[in-house]
Amino acid sequence: MLSHESHHRLGNLSVKAGGSPVLYRSTKPKKRPITPAERRLSRVILFFEDAIKVPLFRCQHCGECILSSTAFICSQNCPKRMRNGPCGGTREDGTCEVYRDRKCVWQRIYYRSKLLHRISLLFTIHAPHDWGLERTSAWLNVLRKRTSAPTLFLRNDEKRIRDIIVDDAAEQN
Amino acid sequence: MTLQNKIDAQQFVVCAEIAPPQSCDGDVIREKAKLVRDHVDAVNITDNQTAIVRLSSIASAKILLEEGIEPIMQMTCRDRNRLAMQSDLLGAAALGIRNVLCLTGDHQTIGDQPEARGVFDLDSVQLIGTVAAMNGGYLLSGSEMKKRPAFFIGAAANPFAEPFEMRLIKLHKKVSAGARFIQTQPVFDLEVFARWMQKVVGMGLHEKAAILAGVMPVRSAKTLQWMKEKVPGVRIHPDYIQRMVRATDPEGEGFAVAIEMIRVLKNIHGVRGIHIMPGPWEGVTPALAKEASLHVAQ
Repeated sequence: MLSHESHHRLGNLSVKAGGSPVLYRSTKPKKRPITPAERRLSRVILFFEDAIKVPLFRCQHCGECILSSTAFICSQNCPKRMRNGPCGGTREDGTCEVYRDRKCVWQRIYYRSKLLHRISLLFTIHAPHDWGLERTSAWLNVLRKRTSAPTLFLRNDEKRIRDIIVDDAAEQN
Repeated sequence: MTLQNKIDAQQFVVCAEIAPPQSCDGDVIREKAKLVRDHVDAVNITDNQTAIVRLSSIASAKILLEEGIEPIMQMTCRDRNRLAMQSDLLGAAALGIRNVLCLTGDHQTIGDQPEARGVFDLDSVQLIGTVAAMNGGYLLSGSEMKKRPAFFIGAAANPFAEPFEMRLIKLHKKVSAGARFIQTQPVFDLEVFARWMQKVVGMGLHEKAAILAGVMPVRSAKTLQWMKEKVPGVRIHPDYIQRMVRATDPEGEGFAVAIEMIRVLKNIHGVRGIHIMPGPWEGVTPALAKEASLHVAQ
């Protein structure tokens, strides 16, 4: 549960962090549909989840929490809801192209990641967001295997980054 | 030779950008196309750039095909969800459009209809992955297609926004997801660009995707100032602004600077092509393209 997930699915495309895209032969991964009973349970859990995540991270209840790979800053506060890094519109001083009074959330994520030695997690490619999970409990979704488990502890960040980049170089040869 | 063939054959490529009109007049595109036809390898067609409604990029790309010019269709995530984008991609493939530039797109509040709802269902990295999956014969739903498209996938990169390393990580993700060529934001600061390029080469990304450096000729110091203040993600070297302010003939000076810029960019290790973004000054593209394709050290 604590290991860094290095394979990500992008539709049928499996992308290894730092590797070339590999096509998945199988059809779409089967996700368990949310039953009405589970929805009720989700609402109860979400009450407690929100009590923690909203004040601490300004959680936007996307239901597919990627906080652990964004150094515990919620990327969903981005006006474009970017999940894979900053857009090209960040201004020279690092402010958001939409809200001039705000820092780009991805800039904050980068500096926090650097501080916490979690830069290697920024290389993770996140699959398209499942909007059906919006406003459901991310904790429950992890338990029900609808979304990947968080990486709470991470060691050897520098080595991981090197591996991701060197992997690439090795692949070329 | 198509753009993909040229890039695969390690040849230096030159692209230019055309903005479709804010009307249904397809002849505007035909005229603009005639101007650049013999000078560039492919022409970018913007997709409602700066969030202002224009003739659609698919239709414009088709017009270019009819004129015998290879289009690079830009596709942004602002206006369509994943269903519409996949369907448009299939349509584009059926029309014979091969090159797609996958972008997140400017936010709608930048444009002239800020009250619009932005979609942003996918982001640029996910769009690249989607097109790559379609090339592999699958839609995002997982269903297999009887005939697979063969898109040549491009992406954009901004070497000028901070934090520097985060930009490289984003580029790495785009290349990992399947981007085969990268067009950068216009270069107005060669030092920063050279530093970025060095890092890109260090990460080996220039081998996996062809880096095309963006060049934007500017007619006056005022435009430059406006760009600096209004256009997101642009960084301009102070000397450049000074030079334009002091110039007695700003238009000539702007042209001279662009030519000098191209000469330097061509020789930076890892740069595989030039992407000309003339903005409203489209008449200057042929001269710049000529300069870009001259004496290229292979």
